[in-house]
Amino acid sequence: MTAQLETPAPPDAPPRTPHRVPLWANPRVGLVVLLVALVVLFSVLRPAFLNTRLTLTPLQSDISVYLVVGLAQLSVLSLGHMNMAVGRMAATSAFTMGLVHDKLGAGLVLSLIAGLAVGALLGALAGLIISRTGVNSFVVTLAMDFALAGLITILYSGVTGGVAFPTMPAGMSELRSDTFADYCIGDVCGPRVPLVVPFAILAALLVGLLFRFSRLGREILMTGANQRAAELSGIPTKDRIVQAHAVSGLLAALGGFLLAANNGAFSASLGDSFLLPSFLAPVLGGTLLAGGAVSVLGTALGAALTQVIYKGLNLLQFQLDQLQLYIGLVLLAALSLDRARHVLAERRGNRA
Amino acid sequence: MLLAENLVKTFPGVRALDGVSLTLRPGSVHALLGENGAGKSTLVKLLTGVYRPDGGRITFDGDERHFAGPLDAQRAGIGVVHQERNLIPAFSVAENIVLHHLPSRGGRLDKRRMRAEAVRCLELLQVELDPDTPVSRLSVAQAQLVEIAKALSLDTKVLLLDEPTASLTGDEADRLYSVVRRLRDAGHAVALVSHKLEEVFAVADTVTVLRDGRSVAQDAPLTGYTQAQVVDLMVGRAFASIALPTRTVDGEVTPALQLSDVSTALGHRGISLVVRPGEILGLYGLVGAGRSELAKAVLGLERITSGTVLIHGRPARIRTVGEALHRYRIGYVTEDRKGEGLFLDQPVSRNIAVTVWRRLARAGLVRDRGERELAGTYADRLGIRISSPRQPAGQLSGGNQQKVSLAKWLAAECDILIVDEPTVGIDVRTKAAFHELIAGLAADGLALLLISSDLPETVGLADRIAVMNDLRIVGELANDHDYPRMSQQIIRLIHTAETVSAA
Repeated sequence: MTAQLETPAPPDAPPRTPHRVPLWANPRVGLVVLLVALVVLFSVLRPAFLNTRLTLTPLQSDISVYLVVGLAQLSVLSLGHMNMAVGRMAATSAFTMGLVHDKLGAGLVLSLIAGLAVGALLGALAGLIISRTGVNSFVVTLAMDFALAGLITILYSGVTGGVAFPTMPAGMSELRSDTFADYCIGDVCGPRVPLVVPFAILAALLVGLLFRFSRLGREILMTGANQRAAELSGIPTKDRIVQAHAVSGLLAALGGFLLAANNGAFSASLGDSFLLPSFLAPVLGGTLLAGGAVSVLGTALGAALTQVIYKGLNLLQFQLDQLQLYIGLVLLAALSLDRARHVLAERRGNRA
Repeated sequence: MLLAENLVKTFPGVRALDGVSLTLRPGSVHALLGENGAGKSTLVKLLTGVYRPDGGRITFDGDERHFAGPLDAQRAGIGVVHQERNLIPAFSVAENIVLHHLPSRGGRLDKRRMRAEAVRCLELLQVELDPDTPVSRLSVAQAQLVEIAKALSLDTKVLLLDEPTASLTGDEADRLYSVVRRLRDAGHAVALVSHKLEEVFAVADTVTVLRDGRSVAQDAPLTGYTQAQVVDLMVGRAFASIALPTRTVDGEVTPALQLSDVSTALGHRGISLVVRPGEILGLYGLVGAGRSELAKAVLGLERITSGTVLIHGRPARIRTVGEALHRYRIGYVTEDRKGEGLFLDQPVSRNIAVTVWRRLARAGLVRDRGERELAGTYADRLGIRISSPRQPAGQLSGGNQQKVSLAKWLAAECDILIVDEPTVGIDVRTKAAFHELIAGLAADGLALLLISSDLPETVGLADRIAVMNDLRIVGELANDHDYPRMSQQIIRLIHTAETVSAA
């Protein structure tokens, strides 16, 4: 039992190098590879997959809708919250657009603005309830979804006597059927890109700007990362929660508008299919459910991947139930990956 | 006898342990010492199956062991009490003690056997606790004893204690160590990890000192060392106390922060204190005296029911931290840096810039470059060791994390700073650097309110010391930095106040 004394090691070990995520572990790279592989696979199995008019143009419209819907969910995932009412907020906003046009005779722009405003208000209301009561966002928005579903049925039967508005604002049908190829200056015509695509791109750019560079977006992310620390750093966290949910409602309304344009009607069932894809796009793209980190580019890739799978399986004549099965499996796999990434990040952070 | 030989553990980019050996004998208390990051926790986790060693071997009573996990290690007879609480508040004492091996009979919980096992463990400790009480109703000290009882279930022969007294008062710690002595006398092998050297010297027989993942003293009898020598070993060089810059405080200048007869909804009564620019007011008291809560009341997080708060001589009604920060330039460095001071997953640059986005923003937009430059400036100024401003704060050592949590208030150009337990859980060397830093801030003209339970720290740094006990200020002393005399006076103040309130 003797004391062994070693020569002292240098007191200052070099600081740890920060971990860089290896390229293969970057979810975005994985998505691009998967996307390309699937497109190749589907084109080989069904050459019709590369038909512009039949497949590629509608595919772009669908991706646009679900990108915007994914961004609506991303806006609250940034807080570590959820918006379970994303579909019904879209439907309520779409009802507003139809009402403002059909009963008040407003044009396309005015209807759109009214619808977006209602969406933002609904989101803000959800955020207000969550931040004042402290009740979990999942429960609050789920209850809201339920209430709005009832409200929409009552409103449509009361106002239209059916489940859809009979008329659409002027311009909506062009938004549905036209591509930029239909508009020519002299002999130069645009690409075969549907008119709804720029709406989605603009939304993605603005949301990217919000979370990447704006003080508001950063403070929302910090609230999501650690609300207590954000509060103690002087961030008005309750206001940020309300604002993030308002953005979510606004984007849900935009998604509803784009889908109405694609479908050609403001109807009561609009937005029924939004919930699952709204999570699928951001989570596939690497947005953490825990809050504090978002990826707009990843969400775009996630939306593209989901819609390519839908379209491809559809062309291969899978039934709707089978489609749902596969899409559900994709989400489960993505969520497991999300958890694995989180655990990995934690392990790397906690080696003390 | 638990024997670990030449253990090696590597994490990506770091060799946490590099050939460390440890011997734990029955009937003996072994101290495991080292600065933060020296590898103590890693060693404890290797011995209890949380991590697997990359090299070396662990033998227990002569057999080589490879533990599959913590439960496996406990079944083999190695129990551990981690620094963090691991009890389930809603469960009873008995349920918590036997949590990982609940006895069952025909698929149903066998409550009688569960109680019997819990009572056996509690009797080993000679602790009187009702096994049916929910843990949520226990005091911190009682809960700590339940943790030990839990570690002792399943016929434990080796007990590892990681900072068992971190949140206990002096009396409670004494009681805990009498339990440790009893376990030693009953033939248990005990390993003790602690920052509190007085306690270690009072209870341990032998010592291993780790530094940078290696042992610099291995299995040595503790009687061969003085506390100063052990500190030297931990730090790696003769450790001289740093002469702090002297300051003169102008007693006539308007106080930066003044509380007059303040009462709060939490029960503070008649709190009056004054902090002048360039001055450090020490706010000393035991854990639970209500000091952090008072700080939070000043920041608007708790309600002030009567009395006035004056900032630079003008009455202030602060409702939010944002207001405290942007309007009155008050910063609060929290004691709970992981829970409420830092954003662990976020880059260091954002952790520092979070308070100044308002200033950095142009048309609502913040440029990354401006933010990183700011972070770089403060990293240099405070000596924060980061490899890049993009490094997540959670990757830094405790001392560097604490500096980051201070830096955001300096970046916000606060002139009143409330610093709450700034050196808790920080190693000796970083602690000294931190003291120098705080003294330097006062010399630069900031008004500082130093909340601390560390008596040498308070006497070493403060110009005046207010002593708080049970939500009241029980006395204020001018500090002459004569440690024996000051500490005696302070302890007497707390003690007499206790007798008064008990009468």
